[in-house]
Amino acid sequence: MATFEQGSVSITVDEDGFMMEPEAWNEDVANALATTEGVNDLTEDHWKVVNYLRDYYLQFGVAPMIRKLCKQTGFQLKEIYELFPSGPAKGACKVAGLPKPTGCV
Amino acid sequence: MKQPNSVKDMGKNPGEPLAQINQYEQIPLPPPFDKIDEEPEFAQLSDAAREKYVVLDDTIAVNIEKPKTKEEEDKLVNGFLSGLEKLFSVDDNWTFLQPFEMSMEHCAKCHTCSDACPIFQESGENELYRPVYRSEILRRIYFKYVKKASPSLHGDIDLNWETVARLIELSYRCNLCRRCAQTCPIGADNALLSREIRKIASMEMGIVPKEIHDDGSVLQLRVGSSTGMTPMIVKDNIEFIDEDTAERTGITIETPFDKVGADILLIHNAGEIMAWPENPGAFATVFEAAGLSWTLSSDAIGYDGINYGVWYDDVQFARVAVRHAAIAKKLGVRKIVLGECGHAHKALTVIADKVLTGDLNIPRESSMVTLRDIIRSGVLKLDKSRNDFPVTLHDPCNLVRLMGIVSPQREIIDAVVPEGRFREMAPHGVENYCCGGGSGFAIMSGHNFKDWRHRMTGRRKFRQILNAFQDESMDPSHMKYVCAPCSNCKGQIRDIITYYDAFEKAGIYYGGLVELIVNAMVDVKPGFIDWEWH
Repeated sequence: MATFEQGSVSITVDEDGFMMEPEAWNEDVANALATTEGVNDLTEDHWKVVNYLRDYYLQFGVAPMIRKLCKQTGFQLKEIYELFPSGPAKGACKVAGLPKPTGCV
Repeated sequence: MKQPNSVKDMGKNPGEPLAQINQYEQIPLPPPFDKIDEEPEFAQLSDAAREKYVVLDDTIAVNIEKPKTKEEEDKLVNGFLSGLEKLFSVDDNWTFLQPFEMSMEHCAKCHTCSDACPIFQESGENELYRPVYRSEILRRIYFKYVKKASPSLHGDIDLNWETVARLIELSYRCNLCRRCAQTCPIGADNALLSREIRKIASMEMGIVPKEIHDDGSVLQLRVGSSTGMTPMIVKDNIEFIDEDTAERTGITIETPFDKVGADILLIHNAGEIMAWPENPGAFATVFEAAGLSWTLSSDAIGYDGINYGVWYDDVQFARVAVRHAAIAKKLGVRKIVLGECGHAHKALTVIADKVLTGDLNIPRESSMVTLRDIIRSGVLKLDKSRNDFPVTLHDPCNLVRLMGIVSPQREIIDAVVPEGRFREMAPHGVENYCCGGGSGFAIMSGHNFKDWRHRMTGRRKFRQILNAFQDESMDPSHMKYVCAPCSNCKGQIRDIITYYDAFEKAGIYYGGLVELIVNAMVDVKPGFIDWEWH
């Protein structure tokens, strides 16, 4: 566990930089976390992915299947990797403030 | 290369690593990954982590905080000793007493196992990772402190907190692949000793990596799956998979849930549903085409075959195993079939014999056998030419070395892959090497553990994969398929392909076995395997 600080943002994160308290998420947090993923500017496409993940997580308490994410946002997995270089689970979920995925995934 | 000189080093200099690997001294990989200076840089442990946690080597798996008081130091030592004593009691060690006692009492120190251990070999034979280094410490503690035998007979050791903490950390530098046990002339199982050290740590001391306990078996017992999926979400996801699979195959399927009186309860590793949905989709397609009477369960735990307890804790193991059997009993199925998950096979088909008695002792079968029988029946119309690409096969340790399931998967490949396209790894079958993700490693990634895993455990498998394809073009447009019929192995192979960028650089792709069957089915739209990276 560690504290991640950037500008006005100060959040608790695990060893991989995932939020420990996902309820503390907001757009400023997303922008700050994005920089740790090599994304300095969150575009409309980034937000489409982040918002879908966020909405799904708030509704179901777990991350969506990756294929569901692709179908619902209309992005191919390749495009999601272009948006978030470390991929949907580790990159996009982190920016959306979801905890680190668990189990054999 | 830094390495310990003797087992007594475990108890000295607690802030200092006992072993360190220089990545540039490792055995180079085959082409096109043979330039060792072009490999990714090994991420170093942070100073803060070294300060806070017990240090063993280049990484940390367990996060054992350094004790701050004499009481905390004593707690580590006394907890370990009391747990060790219990391992020799028939009431406390109802799972492994016999092989454990045999392995503790009988080791001739012949070091035959050292040549068999892929971690020891990939480390450049660093003494810390020698299979008997770990075992020798445990044996000396046992003889001196439990049996009260003279140290002049069995070797001396000082039991202090540093030794205990490091020994627990060291038990998570072993994949539990059991190549050592396989090769031992007298049948001592050094991997079991690693596993039993983990058991003392978990069951007596409450020390365990969070990925396999808090976020693993505890989460599974609480919500139904270590992925976090509740029964409602799993049903929703399977419905999505049915639709998605139908789009890809052109065949409508509806996965049955909770069908009382079905012949088969199929239990997947739930990770397949989340991360590799084509696998449950392919199972449903094949089972339906074969006209099997089968069902999934939507009862909590009944849709997730994982049982992480096999790696570290007998009670967590038993809780999950009994639940799996009770769900099968409730449905009145004739047998449980386990999907493509190695440790689920070990848990439910082998170790669960210790806890499933009476009418809970429902027959359990490997899906390798179920799928082989479907192929043999001739009910599927197959066109091998649809799998006209190079294929190699990874043998999951728990399916193959432990259970001896060697030929069914090969018989299937023979039926669905054109002649000359399949090539074995060397070695293969019961002498295979672990994917590197065994015993929980595939899901452990705290600090720089992932880098350590790629460097020390996954590297041997990657070497085998590259060697298997050496007669093929390594051009990335020439796609090559690594068939790994186990979710844990698939996750590890995905990670190592990503680490070395081997999909982009060399066209190395991976997937399960049942996908190859569906890809060859004449009634299915061509191109079920889409070569999309995922």
